Amino acid sequence: MRGLIIAVPNKGRLREPALRLLDSAGIRRIDDDRVYLANTTMDGVQVLSVRAMDIPVYVYNGIADLGITGRDVIAETGLEVYELADLGFGACDLVVAVKEGSPHGQPKDLPQGSKVATEFPNLARRYFNENGVQVEIITLRGAVEIAPVLGLVDGIVDLSSTGATLERNGLKPIGKVLSSTARLICNKVSYRTKYDMVEKMVNRIRGRL
Amino acid sequence: MENRFRETFELWGYREVRTSTVDYFDIIRGGAGEGFADSIFKVQDSDGRLLSMRGEVTTQIARMLVSKARSEGRLFYITNCIRFMEAKPLSQREFWQAGAELVGGREAEADAEVIALSLGALESVGIREARVDLGNVELFRRVAERFGIGDFDALRRAVASKSLGDLKRVTPDEGAQEALSCIMTRRGGPEVVRELSGMVGEGFDGYADYFDELFGLLKTYGCADRVRVDLSTLREEMKYYNGTVFEIFLGGLGVPIGGGGRYDSMMKEFGLGDTRATGFAMSVDLCVKALEASGLGLEGPRASTAVLYCDGFRDKAIRLACEMRRKGIICTVERYSGQGEGIAVGREIVDLRTGRRYAP
Repeated sequence: MRGLIIAVPNKGRLREPALRLLDSAGIRRIDDDRVYLANTTMDGVQVLSVRAMDIPVYVYNGIADLGITGRDVIAETGLEVYELADLGFGACDLVVAVKEGSPHGQPKDLPQGSKVATEFPNLARRYFNENGVQVEIITLRGAVEIAPVLGLVDGIVDLSSTGATLERNGLKPIGKVLSSTARLICNKVSYRTKYDMVEKMVNRIRGRL
Repeated sequence: MENRFRETFELWGYREVRTSTVDYFDIIRGGAGEGFADSIFKVQDSDGRLLSMRGEVTTQIARMLVSKARSEGRLFYITNCIRFMEAKPLSQREFWQAGAELVGGREAEADAEVIALSLGALESVGIREARVDLGNVELFRRVAERFGIGDFDALRRAVASKSLGDLKRVTPDEGAQEALSCIMTRRGGPEVVRELSGMVGEGFDGYADYFDELFGLLKTYGCADRVRVDLSTLREEMKYYNGTVFEIFLGGLGVPIGGGGRYDSMMKEFGLGDTRATGFAMSVDLCVKALEASGLGLEGPRASTAVLYCDGFRDKAIRLACEMRRKGIICTVERYSGQGEGIAVGREIVDLRTGRRYAP
């Protein structure tokens, strides 16, 4: 049976802390940065670098056995994977935000039919459904904060760790969809068929937290 | 592959049933739950009533049994199902399912039978490495009640995803955390349930006894070494399970190939209280994929023999072919062109491979 493949984000705020964590657990990439599936200093363990949003997809389908990605992304894809450890780093909230001068103080106040831009359409839709507001979701791929000011949308659902980016773009948070941190996730079948390898790896990583 | 499944189910005394491709949406939602109902295709009847395309079969069978007031029986199906699955690239929207339902019988005996049958059906197509993980939905619910955990949905999410961090957020109670950690992290034989029952106190010995009996039976069936207890197995996508549930999986394939469990409560909801029922379903497509990945593949159809007639002997050849088929020999009738292998029919009947006179 082949060894373990651990998926980590290929860029973004989670990549460096994820690689540092693996490094401290004795797993260091030995191939150069352009190699997406890299061998490591640990025999039989490979590191796969893909987009954070895609990591649950690779892990759910068993292409990668383990993965490091945000709770926000796992929830957005809605795929069933095990979350074997809360890694603590990458803390942020997924929030609803509107323009600074908006009269709306909470998501429930938004008028029916409001337009909302987000990178998290599934979570946003579910959140507004639960709050009884019908919104039109517009999916963007980044820099979502600029959309309200330019008049594309009435509000956004986006990640915020300190609130600084929201503020700099003239926005205020009015509700929280969820809190997120980086998680160590595992494929449900790998957990069972590679139990010893997975347990050993998870314990090594937990020991470094 | 379907035929192998069919033969195995019939050997175990199960009878094939066919269910309707469309059904009333309300009934399916009532049986399988809201979450599942979201994933099925809906169409409107001519009078505006909402219909659903078959997304799974158990609910349909349960309702059929109830309408016939039957509280016992062994049934199986091999059919296509259609579901909307946005984020699951492996799965296609239409897939083939093979499954069996055992209605009636004692709990441990029936559960052991369907687990052994599922592994037996997989063996019959050449999948011998399948494994089963067992959980128990009722046991889990009672543990949650025992510790008075209010946010049951959050707890279920934490347990199903084995997230100890989320568990701590759901309950600060140390006793609860210890018991639920056991549910989430321990994997093994029936001793896991005994260990858990020691942690949660009185009233849980019955579950440990049940699991002991179940494993004893599985041992007799010769498959206990392929079955493990992992009490975080909840199969939460279907709301109808209320007792032992299980998932069937295989190394190298990222998602379970099937699963099942006990659904007495759905029989009750449909109006047949006190009826016991358990069953399972497996994805035929994933079985094919698993065989292809392992390089095994299914054996092709059995070889066919050509019955080759020389001019003037066509009727004799057809009569011979009919006789061969009665004896179970697969054959075709073709005109002899001077070459090819098979049985040549002229004044004499000759097996061209051996050169000897042929008698079927």
